[in-house]
Amino acid sequence: MPLKFHHQTLSNGLDIVAEINPDAHSFAAGLFVKTGSRDEESSINGVSHFLEHMMFKGSDRYTWEDVNRIFDEIGARYNAFTSQEMTAYYANVLPEFTEKAVEHLAHLLRPAIRQSDFDTEKKVILEEIAMYLDDPGHRLYEKLMELHFGNHPLSQSVLGPAESIRNLKRDQMAGYFNSHYGPGNMVLSVTGNMDFNEVVKLAERYMGLWPKVQAARDQPLPLYKPQEQDLVDAKLNRCYTMGMTPGPSAQDERRFAARVLADVIGDSDGSRFYWALVDNAIAEDADFGFYPHDGCGSFYFALTTDPKRTKQAMKIALDELQRIRRDLNNDEVDRAKNKIASGIVLQGEVPLGRMRSIGSQWIYNKEYRSLEQDMETLLAVTPKSLQQLMDDFSFDPMTIVSLGPG
Amino acid sequence: MGERYFQHTFENGLTLLAEKMPAMQSAAMSLLVPAGSCTDPVDRTGSSTVISDLILRGAGDRDSHALTDYLDSLGLQRASSVGVHHTRLGCAALAENVMTGLATYADIVQRPQMPQSGFDAARDLALQALAGLDDDPRQKLLVKLREWHFPSPFGRNSMGTKEDLEKLTLDLCRADFGHRFHAGGAILAVAGNVDFNALREQTQAHFGAWKSGVGDELRIMPPPGMYHHEPQQSEQTHIGIAYPSITEDHPDYYVVRLAVEVLSGGMSGRLFTEVREKRALCYSVWAGYSSLKTQGSIMGYAGTSNDRAQATLDCLVGELHRLSDGITIEELTRAKTGLKAATIMQGESTSARAGAIAHDYFIRGRIRTLDEIKNAVDSVSLEQVNAYLASHRPGPFTMVIVGPKELRLPE
Repeated sequence: MPLKFHHQTLSNGLDIVAEINPDAHSFAAGLFVKTGSRDEESSINGVSHFLEHMMFKGSDRYTWEDVNRIFDEIGARYNAFTSQEMTAYYANVLPEFTEKAVEHLAHLLRPAIRQSDFDTEKKVILEEIAMYLDDPGHRLYEKLMELHFGNHPLSQSVLGPAESIRNLKRDQMAGYFNSHYGPGNMVLSVTGNMDFNEVVKLAERYMGLWPKVQAARDQPLPLYKPQEQDLVDAKLNRCYTMGMTPGPSAQDERRFAARVLADVIGDSDGSRFYWALVDNAIAEDADFGFYPHDGCGSFYFALTTDPKRTKQAMKIALDELQRIRRDLNNDEVDRAKNKIASGIVLQGEVPLGRMRSIGSQWIYNKEYRSLEQDMETLLAVTPKSLQQLMDDFSFDPMTIVSLGPG
Repeated sequence: MGERYFQHTFENGLTLLAEKMPAMQSAAMSLLVPAGSCTDPVDRTGSSTVISDLILRGAGDRDSHALTDYLDSLGLQRASSVGVHHTRLGCAALAENVMTGLATYADIVQRPQMPQSGFDAARDLALQALAGLDDDPRQKLLVKLREWHFPSPFGRNSMGTKEDLEKLTLDLCRADFGHRFHAGGAILAVAGNVDFNALREQTQAHFGAWKSGVGDELRIMPPPGMYHHEPQQSEQTHIGIAYPSITEDHPDYYVVRLAVEVLSGGMSGRLFTEVREKRALCYSVWAGYSSLKTQGSIMGYAGTSNDRAQATLDCLVGELHRLSDGITIEELTRAKTGLKAATIMQGESTSARAGAIAHDYFIRGRIRTLDEIKNAVDSVSLEQVNAYLASHRPGPFTMVIVGPKELRLPE
């Protein structure tokens, strides 16, 4: 299964990255835009995500009904997502619908943002915010990001506060669109079964006239400080606790080691946290993970416990983070690497997964990494590199937030 | 069957299924053991869930640590779950590692160590998961909807009840395991870059001595009623609705699947269009076909602000009824395209295919090839769908509400 990489930049500056898999049954295309909640003025926090919804409300040529209908006519698996750092729109189709998929994605990203659609969709966004208020894990995560990043823009919520959504004006959104959505700040990522030259021609035809934008992203230095906060919600049954501490960024070579370390400490099975917390049922869930961001990064832990066991679980988790610095062993590193290697193989077989991975990678680093490169880098991670990583990032300072019945 | 699909039933009743996908490096395995929540003894609900955790805490001559470490060293991405009919153990990785792991899965289902400490932890975790349901109103709604819609024991919450879990002991679990974990009716499905002859030999070697057995006859009881309100102080009201449909092996199955696709396939589906896009009543709304072996159902969901919940329910039910007036040729064409594309793209994932062939065999006693599905979808006509919808009006409805206030089912 030889996967082949191609890259081309159109005259308007639009990057196209492609990984061709002649054995794939499908073609996947995604437009990744380097904008998210961290790029918003706080007064319009939530605009990136709301705008993502508005893309599906039609262009000058199409109504919202047309947008959905056309995607369904070609049997596409399509959707979009917004994070703190990027917004992406994608479609996965059978190869015979390659042109239609590229053309339609292009229409999607030239939205009309009609006032009536804007007013209607605002209600849907407010429902989405309400839905997440019923999810304690999400509430906790938002609070954690807010505290941990303080004045850094990564502290802003993706959905935004309901108040900011209610106050948002159509023209503010249109202004945000004009300054962030264009070549120079986005990439077209395509994977699967395709003729690359044909895809370039299609991109030229449907996206070749998009004006370039200059959207600079603020990269202030986050000011971390140790802090703890307990939130009480009497109607909850369980206690949810998260901690966050600095880690390598998405540009940092140490991110590969960080991923292995995260699995050694907190994979759902067979990890340090599993044996110390879940195997004995002190916690129902205990994860440790790694979020590489643009310009900075975080390690985090998340525990779900009976409220009576929260303190005990927290102490064990924090002790484990110290203990591993003293007694990390080769076998556990190898096992974590083997699990990640399987993930790399499995992801390589599905174009949709690769398209997302390649598009995100380009947004962060303007870099393509083949599966072979990922595998080589992974195999080169050693216990020594993890040790070095833990010397560089000592899990301190840590922001800890809990949410429970009190 | 062509050279892509393979099937063999061993003397002890275990059926081996395989789909050869030579372009892949990976393989995925799905092992269905006929020990689902519907087979839990009447006063031991949740026991399958506890057992499914317990058997992974040491098997053969490996204790809990050694077993987990070994499966991790093979890089197996694992999942286990308890469904209505089966306990499912699955894994995916490089094909040769999945083949190597088979012997260990044979240990897990035949020779688990089931230590006391492991039982105590597994039961504790099951109780914790159950307690967590109250913090997740959406999930709670789906559990309650099944409880109120399907006859017992099919509608049971696989997590069990607090009362039953607290009474459970290791001895009861051991006895239960001995009784329900057998090869009779078990299905082992493997999809990916595998050689069937080698797979059959390995399966014979590792599972050939697995004892045979038959399931107990189930005592079927009607569900508790058609309407249930679960009071909850939540931001949103969660609405669940269900009504009976045909089973998956019924000749009209594809007719129903396509009609449901029209209702809630892509974003041009009727529910998304009418409830969300036009009226902005909610963020999440959907309907789907849900099947037990003996009963098909259509289930619908919407989550919305408490003050708009009645309007949302009215709109949702209105759309279900409007299906009886028929669908258009454009809707049917889109539904067919969507279903066929999804079928073909499933062929890109070894995990999806292993799960699909195991499910096919359980429901139909054979594997459906991807071509068969495509042809069956193509052969459905608009007249067929509309005749079916006109003569099968939706209902009677089971309705469950999780939220602060009761709602009324519209006339």
